[in-house]
Amino acid sequence: MNTFFKNTLKIALALVIVFTAASFMSDVIDISGLSVEHLKADKPMFGTAEYAYDPGQADTPEKTLASKVNWTILIFVILMVLVLANAMDISKYTAKITGRETVNQTNVNKWMMLIFLILGFIGVIWEYIYHGKFILMNNSSSEHGVDYDSMFSITLILTSIVFFMTQFLLFMFSFMYAHKEGKKALYYAHNNRLELLWTFIPAVVLTILVLRGHQTWKSVVYAEENHKGKINSVEVFAYQFGWKARYAGEDGIMGMSDYKFISGTNELGLAVKSEVDMLLEELKLQIIADEETVKNLNTTILDGLMADFAAADGVKNYKSMESIQKKIDAVKNGDRLSDLKESIERKKKQIERILAIQNDEKIFASTFTPAAIDDIIAQEIHIAKDSLVTFNFRSKDIIHSAWLPHFRAQMNVVPGMPTKFTFRPTKSTAEAKAENDEEFDYYLYCNKICGVSHYNMKIKVVVESQAEVDAWLKTQSSPFMKKTEVVPAIMNDSLQMTNDTLKRVALR
Amino acid sequence: MSTATIDSHKVDHHGDAHGHHHKETFITKYIFSTDHKMISKQYLITGIIMGCLGMFMSMLFRLQLAWPDESVPFLETLLGKWAQGGKIDPNYYMALVTIHGTIMVFYVLTAGLSGTFSNLLIPLQVGARDMASPFMNMLSYWFFFLSSVVLLSSFAVETGPASSGWTVYPPLSALSKAMPGSGAGTTLWLVAIILFIVSALLGGINYITTVLNMRTKGMSMNRLPLTIWAFFLTAVLGLLSFPVLLGAGLLLIFDRSFGTSFYLSDIHLNGVGALTNSGGSPVLYQHLFWFLGHPEVYIILMPALGISSEVISTNARKPIFGYTAMIISLIGISFLSFIVWGHHMFITGMNPFLGTMFMYVTLIIAVPSAVKTFNYLATLWKGNIRFTPAMLFAIGLVSFFISGGLTGIYLGNAALDIQLHDSYFVVAHFHLVMGSAAIFGMFAGIYHWFPKMFGRMMNKTLGSMHFWLTFISAYLVFFPMHFMGLAGVPRRYYQFSLIPEFGIWMDVNVLITVSAWLGGLAQILFLYNFFYSIFKGPIASTNPWESNTLEWSTKLKHIHGNWEGDIPTVYRGPHEYSRPDRELDYFPQYEKGNGEPEHYHGPVTAVDNSYEGKKEKASTVFFSSFAYLFSMKRA
Repeated sequence: MNTFFKNTLKIALALVIVFTAASFMSDVIDISGLSVEHLKADKPMFGTAEYAYDPGQADTPEKTLASKVNWTILIFVILMVLVLANAMDISKYTAKITGRETVNQTNVNKWMMLIFLILGFIGVIWEYIYHGKFILMNNSSSEHGVDYDSMFSITLILTSIVFFMTQFLLFMFSFMYAHKEGKKALYYAHNNRLELLWTFIPAVVLTILVLRGHQTWKSVVYAEENHKGKINSVEVFAYQFGWKARYAGEDGIMGMSDYKFISGTNELGLAVKSEVDMLLEELKLQIIADEETVKNLNTTILDGLMADFAAADGVKNYKSMESIQKKIDAVKNGDRLSDLKESIERKKKQIERILAIQNDEKIFASTFTPAAIDDIIAQEIHIAKDSLVTFNFRSKDIIHSAWLPHFRAQMNVVPGMPTKFTFRPTKSTAEAKAENDEEFDYYLYCNKICGVSHYNMKIKVVVESQAEVDAWLKTQSSPFMKKTEVVPAIMNDSLQMTNDTLKRVALR
Repeated sequence: MSTATIDSHKVDHHGDAHGHHHKETFITKYIFSTDHKMISKQYLITGIIMGCLGMFMSMLFRLQLAWPDESVPFLETLLGKWAQGGKIDPNYYMALVTIHGTIMVFYVLTAGLSGTFSNLLIPLQVGARDMASPFMNMLSYWFFFLSSVVLLSSFAVETGPASSGWTVYPPLSALSKAMPGSGAGTTLWLVAIILFIVSALLGGINYITTVLNMRTKGMSMNRLPLTIWAFFLTAVLGLLSFPVLLGAGLLLIFDRSFGTSFYLSDIHLNGVGALTNSGGSPVLYQHLFWFLGHPEVYIILMPALGISSEVISTNARKPIFGYTAMIISLIGISFLSFIVWGHHMFITGMNPFLGTMFMYVTLIIAVPSAVKTFNYLATLWKGNIRFTPAMLFAIGLVSFFISGGLTGIYLGNAALDIQLHDSYFVVAHFHLVMGSAAIFGMFAGIYHWFPKMFGRMMNKTLGSMHFWLTFISAYLVFFPMHFMGLAGVPRRYYQFSLIPEFGIWMDVNVLITVSAWLGGLAQILFLYNFFYSIFKGPIASTNPWESNTLEWSTKLKHIHGNWEGDIPTVYRGPHEYSRPDRELDYFPQYEKGNGEPEHYHGPVTAVDNSYEGKKEKASTVFFSSFAYLFSMKRA
């Protein structure tokens, strides 16, 4: 009974392993096996390839081939497992009878150590050669990047030597000094000279690396301080989920900005008086609307929601019913009310703070300078080749990180804390395209987890001559320049619009 | 129950404490047990369960990375609304990444590793009847258990679990409108971590007290096994650094729930508007977090290093090379680990001068680490290596420690970190040096002390197969990631197919995912072996590995108080293997001997020809010169 149970378990286990392993191997070869039509709900989730294999439909040669390969692998794996299971069983029974191990585990493991060492080294070298082609090394597009790359190469060479040496010794020792009957190990507890030696050598090597690293680090982070003369500057503004670039307009001065000034029309929160006044009006209207909603929350609004809920078709429109139900719940349990109250408080505070700036003469004068009005806001970053540029980073909401891998540049973008990175691009986009392919472009990626679309938060960076940058800047809009010309019309329109929407909201 | 246990300790000196035990019920024996061996088993089983969950999460999100545009319907069956159409939702991807990290770092490699083996080995190896405070020890486990339940319960929250990465940086984690996971999920995460910290502190105080105060006669600090040294220093690290995380977490809770602005300033959130918070600094959180976060790396790694020292010494049948140097490097690592946290923050915008300082101290840490590696190699040299599964995993640990440690030299360098920060290179680095190395240490510990825990043996063949499959797949998973990172692939991206430049890595992503699944499935061998052997494995002998340390002097059957009669006296260090003045190749600490000196100082022949085969003489020039170096002292 016991043996029967054991064997069943063993076979079941073997089957599970075989089945899953085979299906995964087959997926590697035939990824299309993972598509929907092969995996209907009435079929098991694993073993896709086997179920997908249908002689009647398999008219394309690729498919037949793929299926054949899968079956071969399956049979191969089954055989392997059977052989292994047999070997284990036989060795177990003979071990019982003779009291000795027949499959010498020491030998197996010993040789595995050697095989792993050789195959591992081949694999590592293959990676160095094959994937090493793709790594960013010796092709930097910035000045400090050259220094960076040489620093990287030094570290790579030194660590590779240590890597190959120590891994070689580890697996060779394991291979050479495997257990032998009647052998006694060497009693060898310590050797101070030797230990000093291998404390001293790493210390010296690391000192070299630290000093070299220190130099590179200093040259990168103090680039702005060390440079006398003009440095181009771009403000790079990060928000969930995108980037914007701001350039100083014709006056060459970047205007002031404040997160409190951010509005629908003033996405970067620039200190433009007309915009800020508009925002104040908008906030006041919103407060009124919110207060209206608070008043009607348990009467008209709740009734309206109930009516919507009754009207929604429960079968077809399950999702919308669910969302209405949520809204009703929020009203009933007071979440909506506290949300609204919080929002009113927040807006009042914002108005108060903006007014504090506006009412203080000194602060007002230093904040609302004309500099902001002609600032240019762009959806791409264009920088001039061979001249030093500083990216001044500002975040609207949470921490982002601006990574320009081709320029070996990265800096976090932190709300409430200005950060910057200065570098000198040395390779224009055109040159980089020639080196890579036509499709190539420099990008600035977000490299700090920032929410749902983190993986697609990037902005194109173009490196070209100063003249081209200037020409491009001319084509870019400075949103508040135009607005001052046609202020009354637009302002009235937009105010009217917000008014209407708010009324509608309040009525609902 | 607690009083009963403590009383039994007080009367230990009579030598017959075990005659008058209270009758144990199922609850006092298996659930609210105050016996360190049972608590250790509880930690281990909980750790294994959490480990399986954490690994399974990584297997799920690896599917997304390998086949970003394919539909995998079984995901919808499994995750419901979070994987509609068989494609994991980006928010849920982040949640999986976050909880995978949290579970692996805290629940498996801190509690599962340190909790299991500190509890099992500290009393047994120092010669104590139990922990200094068995009741606190029990509390420690139950706080850990509660914490695990709270963390996992966040999967039942409508907006999903915490999803701002395992570091949970504010403002992302502080604002529920910034991402869904930052709502109730993050609240539960924070509560879970605070419970976890309580557990870690209760355990840590106990470990330190037990090691310092309850060693048996003759067990001086320089006769302690390296495992105990590692656990002791780990507990010290935890005790000094976890409270800082507690502070960071509490401030974050204040910011989230009570409107304070410790970490928040100048934020305008989509759909909400300008927040009123001002004057806070998100970088403050990072400083506080990494003040724990970096020692945490060593809290994870040091027990694994301690275990592997013991396992390598025992199975190579050699004294660990440079016992004192090993202890000094552990102390050095512990001390340095407190002043290097800034290397996680080189590019957060903190003062560049700080970056310089942190770079200096960080690279110094490589020196004690190098010493440890070389000492492991020297221990293997001319050994008589028994390839038990534990030994295989210990060798694997050394290999990972080398591979992952070396890439630390890149990342500790402030200049190189500008480019490598948060790239796949970092993922490769810490998964090798902290993840794989530590989990291999844990496996080594499980295979080595399984007979002590359960009185039975695990299957060696399955153990070897488990080792080779896991070892190979771990390298296949993590080694190519170095190159992805160096080519500019950022970490924590939900899919790479939207950015054409990352297209060349698609096949590598498939390779990594397939290897991860193979590695994951290989763990079935372990689980089967583990649970089967608990009940059906062959009965172990008292000292199956012919080891020197004190725990093997106890009876196979677990009893309260560990030793019947007096606690044995210790006569020498733990690593006296293969002494030329003895017939047997081991010399237990508790064996009185016939007046042999504590350490063997007699003449050692430079080359013992009895086993030095011809093969070895034909080895490379490089190798012989290395061998020559070894014999310098004797020349």
